[in-house]
Amino acid sequence: MNPLLTPELGTYVWSLVIFMTVLFVLRKYAWNPLLDFLEEREKDIAESLKMAESAKTDLEQIKDESEKILNEAKKEGKAIVGDSKLRAEESAAKILNDAKAKSNEFLDDAKSKIEIEKKRAIKEIKEEVVDLSLELATKVLQRNVKDDDNSKFIKSSLEAVKVDEAKS
Amino acid sequence: MFIAEKVGKEWTMDQAPEYAIDHVANSKKNIFEFEFLNSLSEKISNFFGISSESLFYIDLGISKHVFLLFFVSFIVVSTVVTLIQGYISHKKNIPNKFMSIIEMFVIYLREDVLKNFIGDKEYRSWAPLVYTIFFFVLFGNVLGLIPIFDLTGLIGKIGYKAEMLGKDNILYLLSKGGHTVTANVNVTFAIATITFVAFIAAGIQKYGFVQHWKNLAPSGLPWPLYFVVVPIEFMGLFIRPLALTLRLAGNMMGGHIALIIFITFIFSATSELGGLAGFGIAPFSITLALGLTMLELLVAVIQAYVFALLTAVFIGMAIHVDH
Repeated sequence: MNPLLTPELGTYVWSLVIFMTVLFVLRKYAWNPLLDFLEEREKDIAESLKMAESAKTDLEQIKDESEKILNEAKKEGKAIVGDSKLRAEESAAKILNDAKAKSNEFLDDAKSKIEIEKKRAIKEIKEEVVDLSLELATKVLQRNVKDDDNSKFIKSSLEAVKVDEAKS
Repeated sequence: MFIAEKVGKEWTMDQAPEYAIDHVANSKKNIFEFEFLNSLSEKISNFFGISSESLFYIDLGISKHVFLLFFVSFIVVSTVVTLIQGYISHKKNIPNKFMSIIEMFVIYLREDVLKNFIGDKEYRSWAPLVYTIFFFVLFGNVLGLIPIFDLTGLIGKIGYKAEMLGKDNILYLLSKGGHTVTANVNVTFAIATITFVAFIAAGIQKYGFVQHWKNLAPSGLPWPLYFVVVPIEFMGLFIRPLALTLRLAGNMMGGHIALIIFITFIFSATSELGGLAGFGIAPFSITLALGLTMLELLVAVIQAYVFALLTAVFIGMAIHVDH
């Protein structure tokens, strides 16, 4: 028989045993751990890709949002500034008006008081003048005996009046 | 010239085929004798009622091919386990050169073969078998191409006299070619048997025992056709592993025989036409052998791939019955 095709059951049995052993060992220590490892790695890669994608969209969203917020803030700021300017102007005008009104009031008050005082002073002066003239008249009448005396007396009285006037 | 003349003296041209076959075939004698293996062989053979003269005597002795099987399996297991464990243990490591080759094969087989033919979900339980077949056959094929044990023969031939070694010497027997285990039909038949069991088991696991055998023939045929279809499908079931066996063994064996015949041209020319002719033909002979070795390297990978692919295809056929 051709030695290349001889059935050698011993070799066959040994092949089976050895192959099964190799299969068992490699399955436990090589293929299953390697396949698990590869699957895990692929899952990791897919997950990180997904995460990167979602992070990208998140970032874009955040960017959009921040831009929106910034725009709003700008608008609001402008509005606030405009408003406060207006208000400040208003209040300034009001204050100015108030002040004007008050000062006018004061002025009027002062004027009227001055007027009153003036009138009173004039009245007092008048009364004083009357009194003085009366006094003068009586004195003139008492000294009418002598002419010289009279004229001297009038002069001195007038001087006295002058001094009095200057005093008051 | 010295070696060529020395060989040329004992060489005749018609020795070549015998020499080549002797190189490829298993040793007739065991290279290691173990008493318990002999008694075990006897016991098992007696149990099955096989006499020691029978062709089917189960001789469990360590013949050349069994020794090489141990050698190949040791290399496969140590290489693959070391590389993969090393790769997995530190996760951030980049695979080294050998590991990236293994990873390439593993990923390629998974994406293009396992997921394609067996299915995205079912592939996981059959992947170790397909991977083991691929790498076992690949290492067997490639290690057969490396003349590790032929070197021992060369040393024996040059350094010692052949008579000193004797025909029973381990070195002498190994020198008859530490060649490809996968060229032995018994070895390939054993692997094919495992494929056979695997694809039947896959079908039974999926459909249950009865339904699996019903799946053999497509349903809905007119009944007379079943007389034709069922025997054909049944025969096909057994032809599949046989084809696997002969394809792999034939490919590896053929390459090796051609390789040896090319080398023997040198010896033949020397013995027929003198040492000078041997020298003249040597460059051609060696170039041819070199080219064929390159081709054989390719065949080694292709045959390993084909064996693994067909295993996956058969398992897939058993699982997905819709033809």
